[in-house]
Amino acid sequence: MIELYAITDNPGPPLPDLAALELVPVDGLAAVCAPAGEADVSADALWHHEEVVEALMADRDLLPVRYGTRLEDEHAVTRAVEERRDELAAALDRVRGAIEVSVRVLPSGDAGRAAVPDAAGGAEYLRQRADEQASQAGTVRAVSEPLAALARASTTSNPRPPELLRAAYLIERDAVEPFTAEVARLQRAHAELSILCTGPWPPYSFTER
Amino acid sequence: MRDKLLHAPPDLDPFMGELPRLDDALSRRVNADPESLERGLAQLVLTIVELLRQLMERQALRRIDSGGLSDEQEERLGRTFMELDRRMAELREEFGLTKEDLNLDLGPLGRLL
Repeated sequence: MIELYAITDNPGPPLPDLAALELVPVDGLAAVCAPAGEADVSADALWHHEEVVEALMADRDLLPVRYGTRLEDEHAVTRAVEERRDELAAALDRVRGAIEVSVRVLPSGDAGRAAVPDAAGGAEYLRQRADEQASQAGTVRAVSEPLAALARASTTSNPRPPELLRAAYLIERDAVEPFTAEVARLQRAHAELSILCTGPWPPYSFTER
Repeated sequence: MRDKLLHAPPDLDPFMGELPRLDDALSRRVNADPESLERGLAQLVLTIVELLRQLMERQALRRIDSGGLSDEQEERLGRTFMELDRRMAELREEFGLTKEDLNLDLGPLGRLL
């Protein structure tokens, strides 16, 4: 079995000296693979995969392949890439020159909703709920819109309560600093929020349209 | 693990709640002792009830927005939801569950609530 790490342009810069990497070329693209190790899933194995993808990302554009993608042999890899060649080439163009930054927003401290309702009456209770929903939606927009304006593309996924926002932004490689500065500005402007920003990551959230 | 923090809030702890969840996901085992089974069942049932409660509450808020309810109806409806909310809080406490526990990870579909 061999494990896939990324889809890149071919030819590209020489492969980093990690994990016995090899290239499987397919018509202008290449799949970066290595012989698969133990099938055991662990945090270490996951970080190793990430390390390889990030070493590749350092000097080339790529579509990261999700951890745990394994195929029988080089022929199977060639077939898999050939089948989606144009789609993959278009996806690689979309992320060219960019990296992913992740942003998560939580209410800070006890700004979240009270555990037990404390309204005096039914109508007041419903008004509280409505205000809460409206103010949450407003807060999320106040953070997500200025950040999206600095990004080539952005996407959100379901926030996990009490999270308010879970978003990924596709940022030009040389625009990470202005983006981080904007996050810091938003944090200063919104003491009621905790904003966590991590990256740069391979563009995992932008490989599919 | 390299440093990936581009911007960290003053208090990082609230974001760390996910780490145990990651460990769970990587080494998921069914723990079949009777007490945790009961708690697991309660968690599942309460999750479904909470989902319905939230859906109905949102529906009610929409009806109020569109002006379809009298003041009296609004008050009665609100009381019902408030009571449900209180009962859910009590049940959560009884089974030692938090709000975050009443959510299911549906894998690629995301979270239930």
